[in-house]
Amino acid sequence: MSSQSASTSNTDWPGRYHHIDQVLNSPGPRTDPAFLAGDGVKDFLRHQAKILVIGAGGLGCEILANLALTGFKDIHVIDMDTIDISNLNRQFLFRTKDVGKPKATVAAEFIMKRVPGVKVTPYFGKIQDKDDNYYMQFNLVICGLDSVEARRWMNATLVNLVDPENPESLKPLIDGGTEGFKGQARVILPTITSCYECSLDMLNKPTAFPICTIANTPRLPEHCIEWASVLEWPRVQGDKKMDTDDPEHIGWLFSVAAARAKEFNIEGVTWSLTQGVVKNIIPAIASTNAIISAACCNEAFKIATSSAAYLNNYFMLIGTEGVYSYTFEHEKRDDCPVCGGEALELTFSADLTVEGLIEMLVEKQDIQIKKPSLSSPKSQIYLQAPPQLEEATRPNLAKRVSELVPNGGEVTVTASTLPFSLSLRITYT
Amino acid sequence: MIKIWSMKKNEDAAAKKKPKTSAAQIRVQKDLTELDLPSTMKTNFPDPADLLNFSLTITPDEGMYRGGAFTFSFAINTNYPHDPPKVKCTQTIYHPNVDLEGNVCLNILREDWKPVLNLNSVMVGLQYLFLEPNADDPLNKDAALEMSKNRDQFLNNVKASMRGGHIKGTQYDNVLAR
Amino acid sequence: MAESLNIENATVTIATDAQPDNKTRRYDRQLRLWAATGQSALENSRILVISGSATSTSILKNLVLPGIGHFTILDNEKVSPEDAGNNFFLEGQSSIGKSRAEEAVRLLAELNDSVESKADTSNLEDILEKNSSYLTSFTIVIAHNLDPKLLDRLSTLLWSDVSHPTLVVVRSAGFLAEFFIQFHEHPIIESHSETAPSLRLDKAFPALLDYSLSLDFETMDPTDHTHVPYVIILVRALEDWKKSHEGKPPQTYLEKKAFKEGVLAMKIKFDEENFDEAESQAYRCWTETTVPSEIASLFQYPALSSLSPSSPPFFHLLAALQKFTLEPPYTLPLTSTLPDMKANTTSYIHLQKLYKARAEEEKERFKSFLTVPVDDSIVDTFVKNAHGLKVLRGRKWGALDADPTALANAISTSSKQVAIHLSLSALTALIMKQPGVAPTIEALTQEAQSLLPPGSEFPEEFSDAVGEVARAPTADLPNTAALLGGLVAQEVIKMITKQYVPIESYCVVDLVETWTGII
Repeated sequence: MSSQSASTSNTDWPGRYHHIDQVLNSPGPRTDPAFLAGDGVKDFLRHQAKILVIGAGGLGCEILANLALTGFKDIHVIDMDTIDISNLNRQFLFRTKDVGKPKATVAAEFIMKRVPGVKVTPYFGKIQDKDDNYYMQFNLVICGLDSVEARRWMNATLVNLVDPENPESLKPLIDGGTEGFKGQARVILPTITSCYECSLDMLNKPTAFPICTIANTPRLPEHCIEWASVLEWPRVQGDKKMDTDDPEHIGWLFSVAAARAKEFNIEGVTWSLTQGVVKNIIPAIASTNAIISAACCNEAFKIATSSAAYLNNYFMLIGTEGVYSYTFEHEKRDDCPVCGGEALELTFSADLTVEGLIEMLVEKQDIQIKKPSLSSPKSQIYLQAPPQLEEATRPNLAKRVSELVPNGGEVTVTASTLPFSLSLRITYT
Repeated sequence: MIKIWSMKKNEDAAAKKKPKTSAAQIRVQKDLTELDLPSTMKTNFPDPADLLNFSLTITPDEGMYRGGAFTFSFAINTNYPHDPPKVKCTQTIYHPNVDLEGNVCLNILREDWKPVLNLNSVMVGLQYLFLEPNADDPLNKDAALEMSKNRDQFLNNVKASMRGGHIKGTQYDNVLAR
Repeated sequence: MAESLNIENATVTIATDAQPDNKTRRYDRQLRLWAATGQSALENSRILVISGSATSTSILKNLVLPGIGHFTILDNEKVSPEDAGNNFFLEGQSSIGKSRAEEAVRLLAELNDSVESKADTSNLEDILEKNSSYLTSFTIVIAHNLDPKLLDRLSTLLWSDVSHPTLVVVRSAGFLAEFFIQFHEHPIIESHSETAPSLRLDKAFPALLDYSLSLDFETMDPTDHTHVPYVIILVRALEDWKKSHEGKPPQTYLEKKAFKEGVLAMKIKFDEENFDEAESQAYRCWTETTVPSEIASLFQYPALSSLSPSSPPFFHLLAALQKFTLEPPYTLPLTSTLPDMKANTTSYIHLQKLYKARAEEEKERFKSFLTVPVDDSIVDTFVKNAHGLKVLRGRKWGALDADPTALANAISTSSKQVAIHLSLSALTALIMKQPGVAPTIEALTQEAQSLLPPGSEFPEEFSDAVGEVARAPTADLPNTAALLGGLVAQEVIKMITKQYVPIESYCVVDLVETWTGII
């Protein structure tokens, strides 16, 4: 504490936190009684809390600025992208001269320059590059991503991080997303509330057109563009990878699509539409990003300080007609592949074979499992089907489980009788 | 920080650490081990440790493609089942719904894919294409035209193509089941 | 589908054969929402923001980025240490003591070179007294936590003439906030309504009817049969039905069922998806296409009865529309927008041409009802969007608080929203009466009570709201400011572009439970 005060006294001036301190000095009518108003909570927020921001794009820029102003001083940010000119209509930490530079680095530098005393540590790369130890250091994670895949990964990683023996392992995940005038913000308490995977079927999928329509009965300009990108590109360009950020590639697709449209008397193929279809461009504006990011950061602030109740657990906004929003509790799914399903702690002899373990599982009255297939995070242990894989894994039946799974290791069990899967954590006697 | 952990005490089932196997990986394991395929379909894993890349061979026992063995490659990405599996025919075959590049016109591989569908549904769908080819929404237009205009000629072409013959300047792969 | 249409609109003025220029690339993600017309409206707008608070600069940030024409910050304060702590558009300690307007303008202007900006350090009171035409020269005026006496004068000035700028009033304290838009009327052509216009299958135009009758479903090539668009199938099936039912469409449940079965019976193969599509769209045959009630109600608008050549073009267009709908077929003009449907290219493109030709004819007829010249591109947009037209009517700032009965009614319909509104109104009133004194819950409650009719009850959420206000009466929290910045900018963009639909009155925000609501 003492060394912290010394370093921050240079940057904290009297009155700096006049606004924030009003809600940290006293509770409101709906504040949880556990809230400790005053210096304790300020110290935690300003000197102890460590927060991770995933994404330094439309949402990320806003999130970083808000966190810095609310008093978080140890912020990390991960982003694998570089700055493009089309980012400048909303990603307000970037300027024309920054085009081509890594978003994470430029954003971090800007925040540190603008908000004194805040440390922002950038990582220009993928979230998958980092391991559990890395994620374990944070108190909170905020995601401002546009990729379903990255969010699924981050969500699963944080759910898996939860260790029943260690309260610190539970990292609240706050996730935001926008599309045009619409957006959503949600709070995920891994293993406690509904997770990202629980709501996967709520997502709008990008429109896909039947491949035979594209090939033979095009009617819309989009059909001509998909013909160019899905069928003609691989046919004509072979193994050359399509880069949708390369204007030459877009130019080629556009001219091929335009020629086809002309042949079929279809109107409306433009450069912009071509780019929109092949890159699956989602409209994005500063104002919606500001709303959703502010909602996310407000939840982070409330969770970090307990100064007010936090969102339970989903906020949805539609701004096309008036300001319509809906706050509700998204329900956890029992058959969620990430946070649902049973987990068992099993303790048995280091001499037990895989076959013995399977018998043990089948005989367990409380789980009613039939024909279980087993795998460890690294490899398959025994699969009941298809025949080739059964044969390939059959030799493992005679092996001791301890040869394949380390002490404290994990096994995933699937079976048609299970809602999704069963997780085992194994301890040897 | 808000006391989240204290809430956890009230939750009995959830407080167990889960394995690091990805949701996609578990889902593929579940799909594969619960496949319910007829004897006319067989999967093959070039690397049995890699469940995400494999092939499926269909040997129809009825219909006009009887006697052939048709192979499709399956490539599943880590965003499965949000993304559908990528399926291509690895041979050059004469079929109204498969083009010469191996693209397959099957709705559940694209516009009608949903995460509730699984690998079994895709495989059954593929087999159906050989029992009931559809000339109305073709990928190989010549084959489709022949099928609807001159069914006998079409049947001859199917037989010839399966033996590795030429039709209208295209050499097809010999796909006869050995 | 709606999105792809927007994309099309957005790119009409863009060269279609080459990569777009830098400006188009910069604004690409927003042009897909409001197109070149919306962008040009933004670029011609002039915004005045009163105060350089954190909330004010957050709002401006979201307007400068998309490229408004000009903004002015009017603020005669110097940057205080407190300001420097919560405003991203001040540079920490180095800004303290400098003009708040100048510092904020300098840092906001960096966001977009094409936006003109100005810091005005004069006093609002002086301007109201000596130079009110300065205030009315803007497109929109935004005021955050403005002194209620000045706000009153400002709102009265801007309300005094229909041509004066829209006023946006923003108030916030801690986790609670609200904003209000003051305007007389706001006509919208491009509401981007998600309801599709009618295809008018029940009133098929002659070329469409002739075409459907010309087809011989029984002898047609089987592949063509599978690709007849459902529009054609239904027009034909309806015509055939009417012949045997005294010219009437299916009416009873049984008749509708029989009609659908008849459509499916037209199949020659079980898997003809176009007939399945026709069955699922069969309701279009017995849903009579009329003028939608929301559009018909616009014809009652007073401005229509007192139309003069100087009236805004929108009302001339509306008057022409009314005349159009008084003649057969008593519908809105046809739009050429055809949804995608199971069909081959030739039949779909042919159908599209029939709709386009007819839409063109009806547009000409529509134009003949216009009594003043209106730009062709506006007529096009108007006709194309006729099914989604809207006219919003606003109120003067303060009208709700001045009407205890209305306030009491609002409590019964939106009690938690009114709870916040009352608390913020009480706060503003109290700060004016006792500047510099921390407001107590008791004083705030008393102040709020005076707004309500004697003896009326507070909304049940009032104690929560007033407690929050008393906790943080002068807190302009960064997250609240940022969220308001987004919401207010969004509504301002909708007002300026006249696209999408802005709110008509109060929008209330509670960031404790994280919800927004409308009064």
